Amino acid sequence: MIQVRDLVKRYGDFCAVDHLSFAVEEGEILGFLGPNGAGKSTTMNMITGYLSATEGDVIINGHNIYDEPELAKRDIGYLPEIPPVYPDMRVKEYLSFAAELKGLPRSGRKEAVAAVMEAVKITHMQDKLIKHLSKGYRQRTGLAQALLGDPKVIILDEPTVGLDPAQIIEMRELIRRLAKGHTVILSSHILFEVNAVCDRILIINHGKKVVIDTPEAIVSMLGGTEGVHLGVKASEEQAAGVLSSVPEVEHFAKEAEEEKKPSDPLVRFAVYAKPEADVRESLFYAFAKAGYPIYEMRPISRSLEEVFIAVTREEKDAGDL
Amino acid sequence: MLAIYKKELRGYFTSFLGYLFLSFLLIFVGIYQYVYNFRMEYANFAYAVSGISTFFLLLVPMLTMRVLAEEKRQKTDQLIFTAPVSVTRVILGKYLALISVFAVGMLIVCVYPLVLRNYGDTNLSIAYSTILAFFLLGCTYMAIGMFISSITESQVFAAVMTFVVILFTWLIDLVIEMLPTDHLTAYFVLLGCAAVIAVVLYLLMKSVLVSGLALLLGGGALTALLFAEPELLDGSLERVFGWISLLARFENFKYGIFEGSAYFYYLTLTFLFVFLTIQAIKKRRWE
Repeated sequence: MIQVRDLVKRYGDFCAVDHLSFAVEEGEILGFLGPNGAGKSTTMNMITGYLSATEGDVIINGHNIYDEPELAKRDIGYLPEIPPVYPDMRVKEYLSFAAELKGLPRSGRKEAVAAVMEAVKITHMQDKLIKHLSKGYRQRTGLAQALLGDPKVIILDEPTVGLDPAQIIEMRELIRRLAKGHTVILSSHILFEVNAVCDRILIINHGKKVVIDTPEAIVSMLGGTEGVHLGVKASEEQAAGVLSSVPEVEHFAKEAEEEKKPSDPLVRFAVYAKPEADVRESLFYAFAKAGYPIYEMRPISRSLEEVFIAVTREEKDAGDL
Repeated sequence: MLAIYKKELRGYFTSFLGYLFLSFLLIFVGIYQYVYNFRMEYANFAYAVSGISTFFLLLVPMLTMRVLAEEKRQKTDQLIFTAPVSVTRVILGKYLALISVFAVGMLIVCVYPLVLRNYGDTNLSIAYSTILAFFLLGCTYMAIGMFISSITESQVFAAVMTFVVILFTWLIDLVIEMLPTDHLTAYFVLLGCAAVIAVVLYLLMKSVLVSGLALLLGGGALTALLFAEPELLDGSLERVFGWISLLARFENFKYGIFEGSAYFYYLTLTFLFVFLTIQAIKKRRWE
């Protein structure tokens, strides 16, 4: 549905986007991740035809955005980082203008505007001036604009920035509903958000593609060994002795005890298993046999956050060399 | 295009801007008509219209300063230029809305000579040909104003620059009268102009080759002319600067000298600046 080929954007000597290529299938939600200034907005502006590319092509539903801009743009709904709304217009007036601008047929315009207002829940605000709306409602008005005409491709640049937690949850719900029957590209620097709604994730840094894959694959790619946090009622030496006797344990380390109260009898370890092994059962039996009860055991999860920091740091290190 | 046109026009008449512009225009035409035609008893309405041509200094920036600069500042250009509408259509829609507001005012002004007719003989053909010239002059200024608005995102800068440019076209007539007519001065001034054009070309295209070539060709041609046919350079400054004198062409109308070429001149300049605006917007996407 969306094909990006060798996209380059240079500003003088500065290369904002550097030979970026990827494809998004129909009905897929692609999360677009990267630190601030990685080139996310620039890429989105090029995909939507707002900016031109120095090199490379963007093909939307078979139409090249630079050769057949009007055909390609017809299939795109775009919500830029700052919602493109006119403060002096009323919500409904603005959406009617956007509908006409996008070339929706006159007969269906009213219904289309009513439908998108309903979809983002701003119907009760339709006669308010946009400058009197809160950030959240402005964002929704911008989103309603992107949804007009039911475009096949929806591109959202940081749709939750500046919203309060309740609004973020609502926005996320909305995006998830949108995903049915649309191809979506969603940029964010909040990993949790991307993880929650996206089928695949594209991470870019310094304008270059770092990785593109499913969230699970990206996590496991860096995952390595599985492990658990362990809390045992024993002395450090006793527990260490038991741990070294369990064959599945690859290595273990005592955890920092900043918050440990003097009365707390537990000693805590981070225990890592050998590849493909599950240490939990063996640990349970080993400590039970030794007579040291386990109070706590929870898996060490490698979050997307760690992955993100790791991959973008690797890039940085490589760049510094 | 129609969507942009309607939105712009609605914008002028839902804010105070359109009304401010129209009342300003009509009040001053009214005052000048009162002074020239009723107090000083000239039977020529064209005097009243040409009297207010200096007010373009205020009228034009008032209307054009926000036309593109504001879209850029508000980032609403991201909506407009990602919609399936070409840049040309967007700019044409905006420009037509601008001159529509002006046309409304001028249509009302068209009634004034008829009022004057009630009190005696007046030459309607001079009055209406001047009104048309005045309208086209305004259209040219608005195209220039729109172009300036397209290269900045500050309304204030757009307004000040437009003011300065219109002031320049107004003062140029005074400058022309004072210009020396000998060929040597003309040679050096024109050489300076060629250098300025070369610098502008370099800033726009960042190509030493193109600007160097322009400078070489311009300078070479001028030098050749200086040695071969120096008399061609005599008074050439007056002619060259005369090309950008918008008002000089307008002044003839009030004396009953009808010049079709002046209309053509205004239309050409208007077309040029609308075209330049479209190019400026397209170029911005490449930066």
